[in-house]
Amino acid sequence: MTCEEFEAIGLDVERDSSLSEAERAAAREHASTCSRCAALQDSWQAAGVELRAFAEDTAMAQAPARVEMRLRQEFRTRHVTLKVRRRAVIAAWALAAAAVLVGAVSWINWRKGGSNETANHLKSTPSVTNSAGNNTNSVPNTGALLQGAVAVQQPDAAESETLMADNELNDFTLFPGTLPADTADAAILRVRMQRSSLGALGLPVNEERAGEWIQVDLLVGNDGLPQAVRLPQQ
Amino acid sequence: MRIAEQERDDVLLRRAAKGDEEAFTLLYRRHQAAMYRFALRMTGNTWAAEEIVQDVFMTLMRDPKKYDATRGALGAFLYGVARNRLMKHLERLPREISLEEKNEDGTGSGIVLQDSSTPAIWAEKRERLLQVRAAVQELPVEFREAVVLCELEEMSYEEAAQMAGCPIGTIRSRLHRGRALLMAKLEMFRGAPRRASVAR
Repeated sequence: MTCEEFEAIGLDVERDSSLSEAERAAAREHASTCSRCAALQDSWQAAGVELRAFAEDTAMAQAPARVEMRLRQEFRTRHVTLKVRRRAVIAAWALAAAAVLVGAVSWINWRKGGSNETANHLKSTPSVTNSAGNNTNSVPNTGALLQGAVAVQQPDAAESETLMADNELNDFTLFPGTLPADTADAAILRVRMQRSSLGALGLPVNEERAGEWIQVDLLVGNDGLPQAVRLPQQ
Repeated sequence: MRIAEQERDDVLLRRAAKGDEEAFTLLYRRHQAAMYRFALRMTGNTWAAEEIVQDVFMTLMRDPKKYDATRGALGAFLYGVARNRLMKHLERLPREISLEEKNEDGTGSGIVLQDSSTPAIWAEKRERLLQVRAAVQELPVEFREAVVLCELEEMSYEEAAQMAGCPIGTIRSRLHRGRALLMAKLEMFRGAPRRASVAR
C-alpha cells in the first residue's frame, strides 16, 4: 500500500465495512513501516478523541420544550381550522341543495297551479254561458244560474282570476224583499246573463235592451239565493 | 385512545395527518433530539438548531404526504428535510459562529461539561471543546456534513451517503478532506496558546 492509498482508506480502516480483510491488513502493515503515515494516524486518533468528546457533550442535547409547545399549538390551530372549513363547506352544500329543492318544489307547484287554472277557466266559461242560456226563456231559473256561477267560484287557487268581482259591498242594489242584514255572510259571484233575467229577480228592465247579454256581480246569501246585484263599471 | 409507544412511524404519521395531536407529539418526541443534535453540530448555534427543528416538523405537519414510507424510514426523510433547511440557513449566514451564546437555562454555550474536578481543568476542557467546535464550524459545508454524519452522528458511510444524497465514494473523499482540514485547524488551535505562552 502506498502513502496516498493509506491516506485515502487507512485512517478509517476499522470502521469502513466496504474494505476487505486484505486491505485492512495492508493498511496496518503500512502504518507499522511508514513513520509519516503512523504519525498521521496518531494525529487522527487524537482528533477523533476530541471529536468524540465534543459529540458526547452534545449527545444529550434536545430541542427546548417551547418548540414542542409551538408545534402543538400550530397543529391544533391548523386542524381546528381545517375542521371548521370542512364543516362550512358541508353547510354551504347543504344550503345550496335545500335552495335547489325549494326552488324545484315551488316551480312544480307553480306549473301545477297554472295548468289547474287553465283547466278551471276552460271549464267555467261554458257553464256560465249554459246557465245564462237557460235563462233565455222568460222563466227565471236563479238556482241553475247560481249553480253555474258557483262552478266559477269553487277552485280557490283560481279565485283571483275567475272571481273578478270587487269585494266591496258598495254599489250593490238589493233585490226587492231583501234586508241589508241578510247580506252579512254572502258571497259575490260574477255571472253573465241576459238583461231580462234581472227583471225576473224583481228589478226594472228596459224592454228594448232585454235581449242583451250583460255581466253582473250577484251577492248570494247562505241559502244560495241572490240578495243583490251590481253592474260592474267596464 | 392511547397510542402504543412502539407504534410505527408511518402509522403515527397517518393518524397525525387526520388530526391526532397525540400521534404527532409522539413522532416529534421520537425524532426531535436527533434533528436538533444534527442541526446544532452543523450550525453551532442553538437558536438556529431550534428554528431548523421547528421548520422540519412544520413541513411534516403541513404536508405529511411528502413522506413515502416505501422509500425509507421517516427518520431518514426528516434528516433530508433538516439538511435542506440547514443548507438554506448556511447559505444565508455563511460563517455564523456564536461561541458565547446562552442556553435556555442560561448555562452558557451549547457545551456543558459534566465532570470538572478543578476549575482549571474545567476551563481547559471547555476551551478545548470550544476549539473543536470552532474547527468543525469552520469546515466547508460539504466536509462539515461528512464529519458530522460520520464522526459525530456515527453513521456508516452508506447511511451518510444516503443522507447527503451522494455516492459512498464522495462521502469518503469529503470525509478524508474534512479530516485533513480539521486536524490542521486543531493543530493550529493547539499551537496558538503555546505560541502565546512562549511569546510571553
